[in-house]
Amino acid sequence: MDLFLQQVVSGISIGAIYSLLAVGYALVYSVYNFTNWAFDAFMAFGAFMAFYAISSFFLPFWVAAIISILLAIGMAVSTEKLAYRSLRLRKAPRLFMMISAMGANLAIVNLLNLFFGGQFRRFPVENIGTFSMGQVSVGRMDVLAGIISFGVLGLLWVFLYRTKPGLGIRASSIDILTASLMGINNDAVAFIIFAVTGVLSSVAGIFYGIKYAVYPTMGIVTIKAMIASIVGGLGSLPAAVVGSMLLGILETLVAGYISSTYRDLFSFLFLVIILLFFPNGLMGKSSDEKL
Amino acid sequence: MPATTPMLEVNNLYVHYGGICALHQVSLHVDPSEIIAVIGANGAGKSTLMKTIAAVKDFTSGSIQFMGMPLKKDPYKVVMDGITLVPEGRRIFAPLSVRENLLLGAYTRSDRQEVAQTMEEVLELFPRLRERLHQRGGTLSGGEQQMLAVGRALMSRPKLLMLDEPSLGLAPIIIDTMFEAITRLNQQMGLTILLVEQNASLALELCHRAYVLKTGHITMEGNGRELLEDERVRSSYLGITGG
Repeated sequence: MDLFLQQVVSGISIGAIYSLLAVGYALVYSVYNFTNWAFDAFMAFGAFMAFYAISSFFLPFWVAAIISILLAIGMAVSTEKLAYRSLRLRKAPRLFMMISAMGANLAIVNLLNLFFGGQFRRFPVENIGTFSMGQVSVGRMDVLAGIISFGVLGLLWVFLYRTKPGLGIRASSIDILTASLMGINNDAVAFIIFAVTGVLSSVAGIFYGIKYAVYPTMGIVTIKAMIASIVGGLGSLPAAVVGSMLLGILETLVAGYISSTYRDLFSFLFLVIILLFFPNGLMGKSSDEKL
Repeated sequence: MPATTPMLEVNNLYVHYGGICALHQVSLHVDPSEIIAVIGANGAGKSTLMKTIAAVKDFTSGSIQFMGMPLKKDPYKVVMDGITLVPEGRRIFAPLSVRENLLLGAYTRSDRQEVAQTMEEVLELFPRLRERLHQRGGTLSGGEQQMLAVGRALMSRPKLLMLDEPSLGLAPIIIDTMFEAITRLNQQMGLTILLVEQNASLALELCHRAYVLKTGHITMEGNGRELLEDERVRSSYLGITGG
């Protein structure tokens, strides 16, 4: 029972990181109908920026995190401007957007490789240890990752559902053409959405880097976020969070009770089983035209 | 021709979809406080004309002037300048509430109190919307959705309101209510209106002047009464022959 609780807490923490990533995909997908493959490169980029802010400039963790977030926003917004905007304005098929996204991903990951090298690095943050609740001992960093991640998601929720630009983004996700007839500036919406993905990717990158390691291809973990958003139902933000939490908890339980070697096997198995019974994901509405 | 400068002036407009010419040398003007109708059959280019004036469709050549200035290239700037289009098929944001739909209409305005006042005016014009204020837009009937679409457009306080097929798919009694509201907006508030309609007799009854659009060309223009009595209009668009 203690092991179970411990694994669940750890699962919630990793699930929270997956949530950030899954929401980042879902947000872009909901408005532009394409999968932003460059997103996982933003994550690695964010982790590297925090890593170097600490290891080379000896900045405190929080300062490094904020710098990393700002740089990741810059990276995400310029990717949108360079790789997606002209395609979007020409109403290019979404396949072209995805190919462009893959190109952006390769470019960013390889630049990270070129400048920083491909080796795994331990994130330079001191171990803040564990605390115990009864028989259960929980990593403080896990709790912090969970709290910050949910905090970021909460802020995003408030932004989307309680502010005017948020309403504009929701309208754009329903019908982008009519949104522009309302006087909503599509380019401004794109700027905000990609800035948000920058924040999400950077926060996820930092905590994932702390939990495992920092390396240029660390963004490959976003495949889990993809699984999570498909399990939840593509294009919906709450569904992405639900899918992520389920996947995170499942993974840590498998790692705890069976073997961490088979963890990913179970993740994919989970996906297959869910899709067999819920072809649109647990909370999804329609499966047509989705990737 | 009135001495005042037109609010909207379209000159020799050409619009293409790929290689296909959808509008061919179209010229028209709308004066302040007029109701102008553009009538024509399916595929004549009516919606294209509306979309081009709303800047969601580019034009190949010709010019569009609004209040003496060239039309802006971005749809949101056109809305800010005072042209609002009620799109064909209403295009309500179905998952959003009626209130949110209305607020989106006022997206370009930042004066909260005045926005609240405009909403009050819109709800007075269409009391049905008040009853449905917190319902999802998608749960409204066709007629209510059309009221919402018009109300949403009014939220931007347009100088020129454009309506694309406001009668499409509505029951006759609802159409009457709709057109009464349009007339009232024009007479009481002096709102300038440009509308396109397949339902020619309805549009011609209501408008001050009208243009007939046929396969991308303006083939006739005149005041509503004149066109209603014109033999060619009667046989082609009103389905009345002989007499």
